[in-house]
Amino acid sequence: MPHIELDHVDLEFRVGAERHTTLQTALWRGLRRHRAEARTVRALKDLSLTIKSGERVGLIGHNGAGKSTLLKTMAGIYPPQRGRVSIEGHVCPLFEFVTGFEMEATGWENIRTRALLLGMSPKEIDKKIDGIAAFSNLGEFLDIPVRHYSTGMFVRLAFATSTAVDPQILLLDEVMAAGDAAFIESARQRMNELMLRASIVVFASHSLDVLPSFCDRTIVLKEGRIVADGPTADVVRTYVQDSRLS
Amino acid sequence: MKPETERTIRDVVRAVGLWHIWGRLGWQDVRLKFRRSAVGVGWIFVNLAVLVASIGFIYANLLGQDTRQFIPYLTIGMILWGYLTSSTVDGGNAFVHSEGYIKQISLPIYVYILRFFVSISVTTLIAMLAYVIVAIVYAVPFRAGTLFVLPGLVMVMTASLLLVTIFAHLNARFRDIAHLASVGMQVLFYVTPVIFPAELLRPRADLSFVVNLNPMFHLLEVVRRPLLGGVAAEGASYAAAGAILVVLAAVAAVVIATNQRRIVYSL
Repeated sequence: MPHIELDHVDLEFRVGAERHTTLQTALWRGLRRHRAEARTVRALKDLSLTIKSGERVGLIGHNGAGKSTLLKTMAGIYPPQRGRVSIEGHVCPLFEFVTGFEMEATGWENIRTRALLLGMSPKEIDKKIDGIAAFSNLGEFLDIPVRHYSTGMFVRLAFATSTAVDPQILLLDEVMAAGDAAFIESARQRMNELMLRASIVVFASHSLDVLPSFCDRTIVLKEGRIVADGPTADVVRTYVQDSRLS
Repeated sequence: MKPETERTIRDVVRAVGLWHIWGRLGWQDVRLKFRRSAVGVGWIFVNLAVLVASIGFIYANLLGQDTRQFIPYLTIGMILWGYLTSSTVDGGNAFVHSEGYIKQISLPIYVYILRFFVSISVTTLIAMLAYVIVAIVYAVPFRAGTLFVLPGLVMVMTASLLLVTIFAHLNARFRDIAHLASVGMQVLFYVTPVIFPAELLRPRADLSFVVNLNPMFHLLEVVRRPLLGGVAAEGASYAAAGAILVVLAAVAAVVIATNQRRIVYSL
C-alpha cells in the first residue's frame, strides 16, 4: 500500500557555507580545526506526518512556509538532516514545467526523455506517445528542436507528457497551467483525471477555491511547521480568518 | 550495516538498474553534441587527425621514430588520454550539468554519473574507429593476442567510471576541483609516455622510474600493448592497473559515503 511517513524531520539549507564553499575555505576550516558558523535556513522543523493510501492532501501556506521543500522531501530529492522519511510506492513529482528540456532535441525526443524520467517504461511510452502528442496540440512543431519553442509551448509539451503517467503517489506544486484559455480548460480536466488515477495526491496550492473540490484533507504550513491539519473545509475557513486578522 | 550505508547501496543498485534511462540520456548527449554541426561526429576524427598529424610529424622526427610504428602508438595514446581527461575534468560537471533533473525528479543521483559515463565512453569508442583505420593504413598486425585488448578496455572503462564518480561528487561541492584536475592531467600528460615512446626512457637508470612508477602509463599499456604488439601487456602493467582500480574504488566509496546526502544541496 502506498504511503508517506515523515518522522521528526528537520531540514536545513546552508546558505553561504554549503553553496559557496571553495576549496580554500574548506582547507582553512580544516586547519583551524573549528567550523566557521554557517548561516543556515531551517526550512522544515521537527515535522511529522503520515499520509495513507487514498488520501488527497492539500498543502497551503505563505511563500517560504516550506511547501515546496516539503514536497521535494517527500519526493526523496532533499534528504533531511535529521528525522526519518519513509515512502512506499512510485512517486511522480510534478513541480514545474519549464526545466528539464534538452534544447537541441526535438519535441518527440523530449517527450520520450521526460516520460522515461518520470518512470514510464519504453513500451508504455510507445503506447501513449500519440495521445501525448495529440493533447499537446503542437502538431508539426514536435519535429523541430524545442530551442525554438515559446514558453507556452514548453508548458504544453511538459504538461501533456507529465500527466500521462500512472503514478501511485502524485506530488503537485502549483501547476495550474499557463497557456491560452482553451488549453487551461482541457488541462484542468486532464489534471482531474490524473489525480483520480493516483492513490495518494499531495497538492501545494495558493488557490483556496480549488482545494475543497480536490482534497479531503488540508495541511497548513508556517515557517516550516505544521500549524493545522484536518478536513479541508474547516482548515481553509480558519486559514482565511487568520489571514484576514493578521 | 548502518541504515545510511544500506540506503546508499540500494540507491546505487537502483540507479544501475535504470539502464534504459541513463543509456538513453548518455546516447542522446552524444547525438545532440554534434547535431548542429555540418561535420557532425566527424569532428571526433578531424580533431584526432589534426593532433596526430602535427604531433606525429614533429615528434617522430625529433625522437628519431619510425612513423609506421609511431603514428598508431600516438593515435591510441591520444584517444585513451582524451578519455581519462574527460572522466576527470568534464566528469566533475556530471552532477552540475544534470541539476535541472536532479532537483525536479526523484531518481537516485547516480543515474547522472552513468549518463555522463555513457556519453564519454560512446565518444571514445567512436574515436577507436579512427585507430582501426590508422592500424589498417600502417599495417599493424592483427593476431590472436590482439584480443587481450578487451580485458584492457574493461579496466580502462572501469577506471573512467570510478574517476567520474569521484570527481562528480567532489566538484559538485568544491568547484575548484575541476580546474585542479585539469592542471593535474596536464602535468601527467607530459610525464606519461603518450607522445613519446616509453622505450626511450625505460633503459635509462635515472629516468626509468618516470615510466615504471607511473600508474597512468600502466593503465594505457593494458590497451596499447595488445593493440600495437598483438600480445598481452606486461604482468606488472596488469598488476598496476588492478591496484589503481582498487584504490579508485576505495576512494569512490569514501567520497560517495561522505557526500551523497549533500550533493543536491550544493547544486
